[in-house]
Amino acid sequence: MSCPICGREHSSSPGRGRRTPAKEGTCPYKGVAYVELRAGHDQIYFGRWRRMDASSIDLRKAYRQLERLLREIAAALETEDIPAARMDLEKAFEALNTAGSGEEGPESLRYMDHALSYAHRVIGDLLHEKGLPPHSPADFAGWYDAGEVPFREDW
Amino acid sequence: MIPIDRYPKEITLRDNTLVTLRPMIAGDAESLWSFLRQLPEIDKAHFHEDVDRREVVERWAKALDYDAVLPILAMRGDCVSGSATLYRNRTGWKQRIGIVRILIAPDVRHLGLGTAMIREIRHLGEKLALNYLLAEVIEEQQAAVRALERMGFEKAAVYRNFVNDRKGHLHNLVVLLHPMSGLEKDRFF
Repeated sequence: MSCPICGREHSSSPGRGRRTPAKEGTCPYKGVAYVELRAGHDQIYFGRWRRMDASSIDLRKAYRQLERLLREIAAALETEDIPAARMDLEKAFEALNTAGSGEEGPESLRYMDHALSYAHRVIGDLLHEKGLPPHSPADFAGWYDAGEVPFREDW
Repeated sequence: MIPIDRYPKEITLRDNTLVTLRPMIAGDAESLWSFLRQLPEIDKAHFHEDVDRREVVERWAKALDYDAVLPILAMRGDCVSGSATLYRNRTGWKQRIGIVRILIAPDVRHLGLGTAMIREIRHLGEKLALNYLLAEVIEEQQAAVRALERMGFEKAAVYRNFVNDRKGHLHNLVVLLHPMSGLEKDRFF
């Protein structure tokens, strides 16, 4: 599967959890585990739909991206025995369905946000099963030219 | 059956430190005691006994019973860097509730070990067919509260001036619950 960010084929090696140090023009997801899930997540996380000036087109686009991301996560989970992650994925689909495709308004945004948070947790579970640290979008914020990166906190 | 066949499990922290997760064994008394002594006072407030006393920890190590208390240790070499313990009642009305206690050494905090330990306990809770995980945290332990919430625990109650630390000072107690996936299947009334 090609990287949703740069369109190139990166090898997704479960043994590699840390991103390759970004060089100018090099996709930062190159070589990371679950590359398509992590890049797919961040594409939504840093997407226009979360901005104040987001349009209904941005929202519909984000909805479709989320739908695709959840389907890809479901496929990755099929071969794993992580019941907690399955439950979270169900909740993610539920939240996305409640958001309603293409609808605008704070409720819709809130549910899409919830779906993305559940998706993030499942990606973390998949990485944890491989012994890797959780995915932090802040590590890739530079690529998206994100003005303000939401908090990054670990315990 | 207790799902301990997944151990030892190696995980990598944010700073690339390798940590091995595994159930505590009788030979861990010394390293567990060293670990407990380096924890801040507030982290030790919930213990019923004085864990700074070596004989207390030695007694625990001799009396291990994974069916009732399953302590998972995070080991860096021979040193304990963290512990996640799942307490269960085998009978009675709380037999489907697991009580969770997680402790992280100060020098490995904010590297993702606490979150990894929560993931482990969630996994064990699912495999043991528990309905709920319950965590009790002193309100000042905000990093722990936030990590638990991010992993699906929900604040069920905050008891004001409810528990005292070892110096007798009162603290608010936060009770957090994590519903497990089997809960819906068990709702028969």
